[in-house]
Amino acid sequence: MVTVTLKVNGKTRSATVPPETTLLRMLRDQFDLTGAKLGCDVGDCGACTVIVDGQPVNSCLMLAGQADGRDVLTIEGLADAEHLHPLQKLFEHFGSLQCGFCGPGVIMSAKALLDENSNPSTQEIRDALGGNLCRCTGYAKMIEAVKGAGCMMRGEEIPEVKSA
Amino acid sequence: MKAFDFYAAKDANDAVALLAQHAADPKVRVKVIAGGTDLLADWKFSPHGPDVVVDISRAEELKTITLTEQGLVIGALVTHTQIMRSPLIQQMFPALVHAAHTIGAVQTRNRGTLGGNLVTAVPSMDSGPTLMALEAIVTIAGWGGRRQVPLSEFFVGPRKTILKPDELLAEIIIPKANLGKPTHFYKFGLRKGQALALVNAAASFWVDWGKNTFVAARISLGAVAPKVIRATQAEAFLEGRTITPEAMAEAGRVAVNDARPISDFRASAEYRKNLVAVLTKRCLEGAWALAQTKRVEGSNGNRNA
Repeated sequence: MVTVTLKVNGKTRSATVPPETTLLRMLRDQFDLTGAKLGCDVGDCGACTVIVDGQPVNSCLMLAGQADGRDVLTIEGLADAEHLHPLQKLFEHFGSLQCGFCGPGVIMSAKALLDENSNPSTQEIRDALGGNLCRCTGYAKMIEAVKGAGCMMRGEEIPEVKSA
Repeated sequence: MKAFDFYAAKDANDAVALLAQHAADPKVRVKVIAGGTDLLADWKFSPHGPDVVVDISRAEELKTITLTEQGLVIGALVTHTQIMRSPLIQQMFPALVHAAHTIGAVQTRNRGTLGGNLVTAVPSMDSGPTLMALEAIVTIAGWGGRRQVPLSEFFVGPRKTILKPDELLAEIIIPKANLGKPTHFYKFGLRKGQALALVNAAASFWVDWGKNTFVAARISLGAVAPKVIRATQAEAFLEGRTITPEAMAEAGRVAVNDARPISDFRASAEYRKNLVAVLTKRCLEGAWALAQTKRVEGSNGNRNA
């Protein structure tokens, strides 16, 4: 067994798990953080995306033991009781998700992008979401939402819905 | 995933010590893990997973990109994202930046390492051709010390390298003589995102500006042989030849003879041969464009500038 102590959404958490446990399994089974989804489990779909030390990663391809001492942010760490994150607000506003399974991963990838660059081009957004597969909504409304969230974070007005 | 014992190495020396300790027993299957983007995906579906895993992801000394007397030294744990963002690599080798960008997606590039891409030794690896076209050398660390071999001798076959169970890939070095050598990488996959290469290629050459000829042309091809190869016949064809579009196209046709592609579910051998000709030509054109730009900028588009 390995004992892992890490920061999750700002709080120090600890768990003792078998060494072959992935970060994703630990988040879901030990900490009841089920926002990150188990999709393909081989790093193709991005449904398990979380932010580790500021960078989006597939939590299904990281061992829990490798996350010891790291700072992990999951979708559960974005909103508080009163406020949604701008991305969450804009995904709702634009109707950017239908089934929503890919959503937590998409939003974490988008957050990592906007944290570095709050005014990304369409191509930069497409590149940032290239590792997140959505098979029902498609990407047009997601891209609008990411651009809108960027506007909101920069304190500018949000453009009207184009694809509705 | 099959159960295994897990050891987190503090640094490279600790990792080598852990490997020496556990690999001494030939019945124990020991594997080194860094980014884990290839290994974990494999182990989840394989009954032959490792017995012992040594995690080297905390070896900070293997995460640096530095210029030394020997050349540009890239630590084995440097991620593809780090390569894309390194001002040094952006300036000297845009081909390496481009190659890194074609690997996986942001999430895999943030975890996946240059060393891991080479050690996995998949013939379609996107890090291979550019480094081979730049005659890279690798440093291997073991209990008995360090040794260096050309990257071309590091690969043995599909998923096989010369690494012994108790050894670690520590550094990738682009020799000083090739710093700034105009190089171009081209990958042909079926999509822009997350696609494996049907064929990938890289070309590098210096220019004799007085004679307008190719000097030290190096061409490397991926996914057309059991390992990443050099297209030596095409290289010999170009040496000393006048730089023309026709020569570049002909070098592409010659390179087809250097390739030994197979047919698989991604593409037929015949299609891959066509790709070799086209990609080789485009890599030469790309390197030529870069050489001209570097000359205008006054940087080293030729060796003696």
